Amino acid sequence: MTAGTQLAKVISTPPRLSEAVDPVYRQIRDLVYKVSGIYKAEEKLYLLAAGCERRMKELKTKGPREYWDHLTAHPSRDGELRQLLNEITIGETCLFRSPPQLDALRKVILPEIVGDKAKQITKRLRIWSAGCSTGEESYTLAMNMMEESTGLLKSWTVEIIATDLNDRSIETAKNGIYGDYALRSTPDYFKRKYFVALDDKRLEVKPEVKKLVAFSRLNLQDDSKILFMKGMDLIFCCNVLIYFDGPSKAKVINHFFSNLNFGGYFFLGTSESLLNLNDKFHLVHFPGAIAYWKPSLKSEKL
Amino acid sequence: MSTSITVSVDAQIKERVKSIETMPSIPAVFLPLLDMLHLPPDLVKLDEVVRLVSYDNTIAAQCLRVASSPLFGLAKSPESIKAAVISLGLRRVQTILLTCCMGKAFPAKNWALDPIVFWRHSLGCAMVCRKFSEKLGSADTEKAYMAGLMHDIGFMVNCMVFPAEFAAAVEHAAKEQIPFYEAEQSSMGFTHCETGKALAERWNLSEEMVRVIACHHQPERPEAQHPLVALVHLSDLLCRMRNLGYGYYERQKVDLVHDPAWTALLREHRALDGVDLVRFTFELDEAIEGIFQLVSTIFGAMTKQGQ
Repeated sequence: MTAGTQLAKVISTPPRLSEAVDPVYRQIRDLVYKVSGIYKAEEKLYLLAAGCERRMKELKTKGPREYWDHLTAHPSRDGELRQLLNEITIGETCLFRSPPQLDALRKVILPEIVGDKAKQITKRLRIWSAGCSTGEESYTLAMNMMEESTGLLKSWTVEIIATDLNDRSIETAKNGIYGDYALRSTPDYFKRKYFVALDDKRLEVKPEVKKLVAFSRLNLQDDSKILFMKGMDLIFCCNVLIYFDGPSKAKVINHFFSNLNFGGYFFLGTSESLLNLNDKFHLVHFPGAIAYWKPSLKSEKL
Repeated sequence: MSTSITVSVDAQIKERVKSIETMPSIPAVFLPLLDMLHLPPDLVKLDEVVRLVSYDNTIAAQCLRVASSPLFGLAKSPESIKAAVISLGLRRVQTILLTCCMGKAFPAKNWALDPIVFWRHSLGCAMVCRKFSEKLGSADTEKAYMAGLMHDIGFMVNCMVFPAEFAAAVEHAAKEQIPFYEAEQSSMGFTHCETGKALAERWNLSEEMVRVIACHHQPERPEAQHPLVALVHLSDLLCRMRNLGYGYYERQKVDLVHDPAWTALLREHRALDGVDLVRFTFELDEAIEGIFQLVSTIFGAMTKQGQ
């Protein structure tokens, strides 16, 4: 035996977390991806498994294999999949949810849009937070745009339109009050600058931030209303389309494409995919972030 | 005028690259193993590989450890090189050995670039190239791996033989947040592509490997119209967008599908049309932890010694 083989024997292989997960959860992961576009990465598989377990308890199923049948063979499979999606996306929203998205926005996209619009007389940036839930994303965008108000966006008007289907969510959003959990990723700099303390647990967004965001109720499936959301430079729609079936999703995405200005961008959630439902958007990568780009007229002619 | 400048830069690069050959650190098995990469897989002899490796026990031991990484496919360390070949195939063991040799070959002394960052990028790119070529149904996925692993050897040449000039380029790239290639071009007048090519030619690497090293940043060049060059170009870009870049923020928008390399690759592999690029990206994210671990297994000790 060579020294090499002896050494190799001594070094034991560390146990791998993934081996502990029942392979059926990988099947469920693939199914969830195919239907909703949400991808649960290997290291987050335990979260998916925990979500399934909560559903299994509710349904009194014996194990993950039987639950797989619930998701694929039972008459109620569509409803069950929706329940599971609810379970695995719960508690995901917070302010500053995706710093790489914000970096892409401020370091790459804004300079590009500002450059493209340099010759226009009205300098206006329109952002739509579609499916804004309780306002975390909308205010995050507002604060980041305010940071640019003395630099890139000097003498620009910024409008943030935030819509959601749920009236109660919108009321909560308008209040702009958040606890530790929602603020877990918010840098101290932003907490100090854009919030006031309500009590020792909660912070409230300052009025000048609230002023930047217009909240309203909108059903993304309502074609006549969605047509009016014109002239957007950026659309954010995170973890909303996952609940739509294929054809409705394709329709909403087509609307988004028309709602955007040429050169505008559409963002999904960080682990969400458009699943090739639209071939007009260009899939583009920024460091750590993915977006869908509506090519500018200039680049289309090339 | 410009021609004579180019000639002198080229001559200077070649002259300085010669000095790399006298480096004592290159493992004896490295160049013979590299030579074997030229051979068609069925002509590579297992006994010959085992004989070569037996000269260097540390490399053999490291190879066995690396083989048990989830990214290389074995659940536990094989007992010997022979056993590893039986489980993984000769081609893959050969590339693992070469990876380990690369780690030993280049002492990371006074590098202008953080060696850990460099190896994460190179190994990451190797993994992405292999995975990508698997998705395309390519026959020689290990060749794709080697191309990814070696595409930036010019950086090592720069660190060793142009330390001052390269340090300035590194600083320039990070400060301006621009692609490395552009920073080298503007501050040195040449890039790791030229210096890498000079080393690749001295090492008698295959013609396509030389092309990869020389052209992976210029997919529009006629010499780059080669599926392996296109594959490395795209994988390199993807790595740089997914936390496997050069350790600074690159202000870049990357549109892989509309890159000339995508078109070149599609001509050769129709299967590219069916690749779900978003899912591919998510899968790369999953592999990152494993890539970081491999880098510390293979290159960690070496980089600590060097610093």
